[in-house]
Amino acid sequence: MPVWQSIYEDINDENFVIMSAAQDTGGEAAAGKIFDDAKVTYTAIIDEDHTISSLFNLVNVPSGVWIDEQGQIVRLNEGTYSKHHKLGTFEFGSDIYVPALRDWIAKGSDSEFAWSPEEVSANLIPRTPAGERAEPAFKLGVYFHSQGRESQANYWWEESQRLNPDSWNFHRQDWSFTPSEASSNFMRKVQGLGDKPYYKPMDLPGE
Amino acid sequence: MIRVNEALCAVTLGAFLLPGVAANADVAIAGGQVIQLEKTLSDVRNLWVTPEDFTRINGFEVKPEGACHEDICIPLRQDADGDLFVKRDGQSWLNATMFADKVQQSYVVDRESGVWSFGMVPSSRKAFLDSAVAPDFELVDRNGDTVKLSNFRGKKVLIITWASW
Repeated sequence: MPVWQSIYEDINDENFVIMSAAQDTGGEAAAGKIFDDAKVTYTAIIDEDHTISSLFNLVNVPSGVWIDEQGQIVRLNEGTYSKHHKLGTFEFGSDIYVPALRDWIAKGSDSEFAWSPEEVSANLIPRTPAGERAEPAFKLGVYFHSQGRESQANYWWEESQRLNPDSWNFHRQDWSFTPSEASSNFMRKVQGLGDKPYYKPMDLPGE
Repeated sequence: MIRVNEALCAVTLGAFLLPGVAANADVAIAGGQVIQLEKTLSDVRNLWVTPEDFTRINGFEVKPEGACHEDICIPLRQDADGDLFVKRDGQSWLNATMFADKVQQSYVVDRESGVWSFGMVPSSRKAFLDSAVAPDFELVDRNGDTVKLSNFRGKKVLIITWASW
């Protein structure tokens, strides 16, 4: 978060905006302080029912979507950290992501990092019919949570995870409400991935 | 008193003469909105709603030629009672769940509490899925201002999602 604020200041282009969305059903109490501490000057949203991920077929955080002046998506990735990180054997993020973003801001569709509509379509995360039902199931859980009806919220969040087991957003949001078990749940699920990567590769030229 | 009587009648008759007007209000969640349904026709399988609530649930408007959204119109017979449309005491009712099945709109229901949650209509997602058009949304930012993605046309936008968890 603080990293993106300094990148934003550095880019300093009046035709470029950042929209940062915290996907937190816990709301302001969960995510507000992180925004405050980062002193962000770009658009800051707390997206309690994961509206953006629902619309753009995102299943993990952080995810990044580039949208051009005409409203066309020109790149969509998950694991969009500003730098490469290594935690033991777990590697994520790329040192090329921010230079790639700058290249696109400067060159637009001539940037080698901008995808054609066909490339965007091919890179969208597909949703099965059950995965489509997971979306309203998750939001039903958010509704019950907002009403303080936690057992019903839990029921529908579990249902959303059963319907779309590939959504880390649904798993991790649910686990966040039982912090003592969150990391063991996470490790178990990660180990179950086998050879599948936790983040879909970003497909950045020169990476 | 009249209201109570009506409610009692509906409950009693409802079991025999489906669909009738239900005593309990249902709630529908769709498009990021919580919609309090003033009253619905009671029916164990389906959710019957007014034309106004129907539009809130799926974006389709009821017109003489059918239920229409952008360039799509689904034929809808309105001169007689049918699976999708009935008239009771001058009020039109539409079967939101059967219509959802027809247009492949996903939904789930918590029957115990009468809360229905609807997903997106696939035909409204074609521009996104096939042509990479960014789906529009309206969310409230931390300043309390409404942020609408399409208001940023003419600028390059980076959307970053993250979470505290």
